[in-house]
Amino acid sequence: MSSNPPSGTVLVIDDEPQIRRVVRNAFTSSAARVIEAATGAEGIDRAAAEKPDLVILDLGLPDVLGLDVCREIRSWSAVPILVLSARHSDQEKVALLDAGADDYVTKPFSTEELQARARALLRRSHRSGSEPPKIAIGELVFDRDARSVTRAGQAIHLTPIEWDLLQELITNAGRTLTHQHLFTRVWRGRQFGDAQQYLRVYVAHLRRKIEPDSVRPRYIFTEPGVGYRFASAADLAASPPDRR
Amino acid sequence: MTTGRWRPWVLWATTLVLVSAGLLLLRARLDKAHVALVFLLVVLGGSATGGRALGLLLAGAAFLLFNWFFLEPYGTFVIANPLDWLVLVAFLIVSGVAAQLLHRFRQQADAARRSAAEVDRFATLGAETLNVARADEALSAIADVIRSTLRLSAARIHTDRVRSSTGLPSMMAWVMEHGTMAIVSRDGTTRVTVDDLPRDNLAEARSVYLPLKVRGRTVGVLELTVDAAVSLEAAERRFLAALSYYAALAVERARLAAAADHAEALREAGRMKDVLLASVSHDLRTPLTTIKALAHEMARQDERAQVIEEEADRLNRLVADLLDLSGIQGGALPLAIEVNAVDELVGALVQQVSPTLAGREIEVDLENGGTLLAGRFDFVHTLRILGNLVDNAKKYAPANTPITISARRQGGEIELAVADRGPGVPDVEREQIFEPFYRAPGAPPDVGGTGLGLSIARRLAVVQQGSLGYAARPGGGSVFSLRLPAVTLPTVTS
Repeated sequence: MSSNPPSGTVLVIDDEPQIRRVVRNAFTSSAARVIEAATGAEGIDRAAAEKPDLVILDLGLPDVLGLDVCREIRSWSAVPILVLSARHSDQEKVALLDAGADDYVTKPFSTEELQARARALLRRSHRSGSEPPKIAIGELVFDRDARSVTRAGQAIHLTPIEWDLLQELITNAGRTLTHQHLFTRVWRGRQFGDAQQYLRVYVAHLRRKIEPDSVRPRYIFTEPGVGYRFASAADLAASPPDRR
Repeated sequence: MTTGRWRPWVLWATTLVLVSAGLLLLRARLDKAHVALVFLLVVLGGSATGGRALGLLLAGAAFLLFNWFFLEPYGTFVIANPLDWLVLVAFLIVSGVAAQLLHRFRQQADAARRSAAEVDRFATLGAETLNVARADEALSAIADVIRSTLRLSAARIHTDRVRSSTGLPSMMAWVMEHGTMAIVSRDGTTRVTVDDLPRDNLAEARSVYLPLKVRGRTVGVLELTVDAAVSLEAAERRFLAALSYYAALAVERARLAAAADHAEALREAGRMKDVLLASVSHDLRTPLTTIKALAHEMARQDERAQVIEEEADRLNRLVADLLDLSGIQGGALPLAIEVNAVDELVGALVQQVSPTLAGREIEVDLENGGTLLAGRFDFVHTLRILGNLVDNAKKYAPANTPITISARRQGGEIELAVADRGPGVPDVEREQIFEPFYRAPGAPPDVGGTGLGLSIARRLAVVQQGSLGYAARPGGGSVFSLRLPAVTLPTVTS
């Protein structure tokens, strides 16, 4: 399925042995080493001791709130955290993402979905510190220094807000960013008035400029009720442009 | 009783006789002033303990004794020295005035004691009213105090809670509604007054209905039944006013307490439901995840595992449907009504349904002439509505026909339509299909789904001020149209 199997150490924090097994199976064909913890406390200990490249955290832990595990790990580590959620509420996912989680998968998930999200986060984890000035994703070329965006060689004119939105999304490719996160980052220092309620409209305008088909987006994905996620290289590999 | 009342009279008469005898023995050595002072003491003592009448009687008796025994010539009522008249008259006046003054002080002291006792009784009743565990007990206690104090044959307090269960007699309902007092006389006539309390004595009344008011609002009715004529003096009126106010407070307090209990019970029920829903969704979805993932792995070797995976997905949809339905019905559904772009909604819909299309084509028709359509709605709920509509179309329309998703602005609304080339819905069933668990009579049993999709979709449309309707599609098939409030976008591109 994937040309680029996940690698590194993956820590699964889940009290259900069956779910730990599903996660372990999802990584058997890859170079990743999977370590497990059955409680939140054990998970925090192992995260500190083994310095994993990815933490997969179930929300339904018996001993601690998933949100607290997330905050605790985030307070001393930048390791990507992928949340497994069975809950009905999007508010909880938003709270987790705002507390430092990078992405989430809703139960019941498919193995492919888990692998794709994990791969995107592992790639982020392996990337070296500073952001490259020029990023090519699919047909898009995003040049930070020149402040230019091209799609298939064609220059795209973006307004300052659209530029900032795109930059925040691309910089965090593969991560789900909440509406609040985007608003805070993009409108920081700007006069905004009603802007917060029009965030989705700005994104729609941006999509119309960079997506070949705005109702079948390849780059900016909507996570309903939660926020937006810019496609990772894995997403693009999974959906080639001719798929339509 | 009688002996008790006469005891001071006997006692002070005896005292007067003994004192007179003592003075008589010492008469030779006594001055008239000594005698007058000693007699005055007896009169004052008698007034103080036996009241004004005894005091005046003692004064009269002492006057005669003084004259007979101690003013010359002794043994007669004749007075030799005219100046002795002065002594005698002065004695009479002083003792009479003293008896009168003592009497007045005693009366004032009694009144003060009575009003202190009244205040004390009111305070006790007030405290009991506010502290008693059950409001009914407080009300019956107050009614009982009113009945016994005013010597009525019955006093009852009716509250508006009674009206809802048993229905109050019409007079009480009238008083409750208008907040004015009504008096039914012995001859059967009814008098209505704007006063809160009876002004005159209740000589002619058979029953009286007093409104019980708190802050101008009538919360109950006090019904007084009068057998013998009752006199309402100022004190009784005051008493009635205070007690009916306490009764009103007790009724109001009972109402507030019941409302608080109800609100607390609702909060608790809501919390329990949240906990239950969270735990149901977690407990059901965790094993579904395992089943789905392992079936998916096994499907590489065994096709039957693919059926297991599909059924796991179907079970998951059922869980979601039931949770949604209970959330909508319980009013516990969080709503996030925001400005959303239709592009994005349709995009998320296509993204969501694509993996389940199995080769079926989805056509998207956004009639917007290049402008962005936007509406004010809850993105997640609306996506769910459209997802259910697409699922429905997939179930009933032939696999080789496309499903068309279109959007357009119509006046103040956005119309989102999902159209298929299925068999359509007969006229008689066009509203029934939105009922929970409704299945088209001819639907194959393996059509999948829960029979909840359309009813959930309509409820979700209604909770966000939208509507969902069905129409036959020209050329065959069905069109489900979702209408939501549109938003005219300001220029936000810069």
